[in-house]
Amino acid sequence: MRYVVGYSANARGHDAVNLAVSMALGRGASLDLVLVVPEVQQFGAAHAPRAGFEHLLNEQAQEWLDQALALIPPGVPAKAHVRSGDSDAHALIQAAEEFGADMLIIGATSNGIFKRFSIGSVASALLHASTVPVALAPHGYHRQEALTRISCGLGNRAGAEKLLDFALGMAANREVPLRVVSLLAIDGGDAADAAEAAEAARAYAAKHLAAALPGGGQGVREEAKAEVAIAQGRSIEEAVDRLDWEDGEVLLIGSSRLATSHSIFLGSTANRILRALPVPMIVVPSDYELKHPNRPASNDFTREAQK
Amino acid sequence: MSAEHAMAKASHAGQHAEDQHGLSEKGLKAGSVGLIGAVVIGVSCIAPAYTLTAALGPTVAEVGVHLPAIFLVGFVPMLLVAFGYRELNNAMPDAGTSFTWASKAFGPWLGWMGGWGLIAATIIVLSNLAAVAVDFFYLMLSQIFGNPDLADLTKNLPLNIATTLVFIALACWISYRGMETTKTVQYVLVGFQLLVLGWFAVAAFSHVANGTAFDATAISPDWFNPFAVESFTAFAAGVSLSIFIYWGWDVTLTMNEETKNPEKTPGRAATVTVLVIVIIYMTVALATLSFAGIGTEGLGAGNPENQASIFAVLAGPVMGPFAILMSLAILSSSAASLQSTFVSPARTLLSMGHYQALPKKFSRISPTHKSPSYATIASAVAAAAFYVITRTTSENALWDTITALGMMICFYYGITALACVWFFRAEAFSGAQAFFFKFLSPLLGGVILLVMFFKTAYDSMDPAYGSGSSIGGLGLVFILGTGVILLGVVLMLIMAKLRPEFFKGEVLARGN
Repeated sequence: MRYVVGYSANARGHDAVNLAVSMALGRGASLDLVLVVPEVQQFGAAHAPRAGFEHLLNEQAQEWLDQALALIPPGVPAKAHVRSGDSDAHALIQAAEEFGADMLIIGATSNGIFKRFSIGSVASALLHASTVPVALAPHGYHRQEALTRISCGLGNRAGAEKLLDFALGMAANREVPLRVVSLLAIDGGDAADAAEAAEAARAYAAKHLAAALPGGGQGVREEAKAEVAIAQGRSIEEAVDRLDWEDGEVLLIGSSRLATSHSIFLGSTANRILRALPVPMIVVPSDYELKHPNRPASNDFTREAQK
Repeated sequence: MSAEHAMAKASHAGQHAEDQHGLSEKGLKAGSVGLIGAVVIGVSCIAPAYTLTAALGPTVAEVGVHLPAIFLVGFVPMLLVAFGYRELNNAMPDAGTSFTWASKAFGPWLGWMGGWGLIAATIIVLSNLAAVAVDFFYLMLSQIFGNPDLADLTKNLPLNIATTLVFIALACWISYRGMETTKTVQYVLVGFQLLVLGWFAVAAFSHVANGTAFDATAISPDWFNPFAVESFTAFAAGVSLSIFIYWGWDVTLTMNEETKNPEKTPGRAATVTVLVIVIIYMTVALATLSFAGIGTEGLGAGNPENQASIFAVLAGPVMGPFAILMSLAILSSSAASLQSTFVSPARTLLSMGHYQALPKKFSRISPTHKSPSYATIASAVAAAAFYVITRTTSENALWDTITALGMMICFYYGITALACVWFFRAEAFSGAQAFFFKFLSPLLGGVILLVMFFKTAYDSMDPAYGSGSSIGGLGLVFILGTGVILLGVVLMLIMAKLRPEFFKGEVLARGN
């Protein structure tokens, strides 16, 4: 199993490497660090031939990648690659497809002064175009140990089953508990309404969870302990705040790439969740098929969520 | 497509990253350009609308009606030097260009000065580009709002300096962020410039035909005769200035791998570019002289009031309400050039930092934007400082900086051309082609440019030279030109103390 890590020699890149190590440790995955350097253009550079600059740029990129590899503990196999391309997101997606990667891992936050708490441009471009799940490391992520819990954010859109399947597989393979969370933003309304909404969400989540669990919820596998948690707040951010998060947790959410409004969904909800979320978030494309879903589970550990 | 390094990481600690491939990556580039693309790049590097408005006035001040002759003659040394430039670029492609080549040919000291000349020239042109952009920014505002007072805001010294610094800072920021003008934008800007310049010429000639020109002057064959220029002083000054108007053309010759057909495209692109440029320069020069004459009163091209930026004065009377297009063309082209020119000193400084000819911090590349970080900011600070100094000491800063710039280009092109001769001396007589391109052309070009440099430097000591600004009895152009070079010598001596390795020839060795 391979993860492609979008690396840059700054805080964001370090966040991504740390998350990649955490993710890889539970699954024995190998990492492909990809550093994208811009294509040096001939248009738009007066009195400056480009040849030599490319050379210096690549030399520097190698140096940065060497430093990045030094951050990775010995148990995790890793390779480094320099790619050139006009768009970081495009180059990363290309690399992920070429390597047959199971996930793309990047640092989410842009480190501009004014945009400290928002998704960087590379991350949002990736969210809209990636064909594999994208893991976003929060600002300052420094953990390098295996994950301890998987949370799965459940909305009431189509595709919830697939996302739950993915989450269950991921939790089972890593032998960590699964928590299904519903984040409810309730503006105004009285306590009764809120309780009613919470109950409905809980019932909905429990129903889906039961359907997704092997044996219809009767024989819950030991390695896939699952619980349901409901979080309410006046806003999504507040709901996220009210849940307790373990250091070694990640939140899975689905994206609706097929919906016409997918960009709006990701632009607002994902952004708002991420702003409040203290743990990494993994965005799974809604049309992401678990690869080889019907093959016997026993010997095949090559895919992220395969059961 | 992507070029890739793959590194295998051993699974135990401490053994990282064996580089399996060399560092020179020459993958197939997706963005390769065809003939038209290469011509657009060439024309955009020359930025004809900006160049003409900046250089036409000062050149008329030197050579009067022989402007067309000087514009034609000025191309000759440029062509000769560009041949040498191409040979060096093919043999040693390097971000440091003149610096690296001169160091390889003549050793560290002259190499350092060659690099300094290139950096100084690009820094000076940055400050001039920003100033021209600011002039036309206010002119355009006044044209939009129909209020002539707005155009005069550019004469308000503190406001002018503040606006110019804002323009420089913006261009620096864009460059630092690694954003580059895209192909489409370049096509539009170049097309628009040529269109507006053509419009200007046609409008000027129709005024002449209708008898409504300011000072209708009949075109005479004498205008094309360079030998009719009054003095060698005027001739040298004119040639220095016309080197500036072709500066950037050499880029078309040095594009090789970038083109779809490396055998033929660069040569053809260079030819087409120079034809386009010469035609547009000749047309506009003749139109300007026919319409305005070289009188020193009113709209005359000889009026010192008009010489800093000729189109700012003439576009209105010639083009009427459409003069706003000229403002737009010059504003957009100088703003685009401002940003694209930032790349040049930044890369040269980066390269000099890399070869330890400057402090290490100059070789920094921004991890986030992958552009030269310290070098870009240093260039902006230098351009801003240069502008503030000239603006506060000169009566006509634009005019004097353009003349000083011409000198600086002659200086570093001269060194570069002779570096070519010396570097390839062993092959000079190995064949007719080598003799012509690696020896004779650069030798002639280099000698001509250095003669122009020394002659202009000597003449500019006269306090009446250029716009007539002077400090302590010495012409401001002399102070600017030699001052910048002396500053380079001082900095070089300091660097030699701080980081002696480069100056001992240990980093960039002579020869291959």
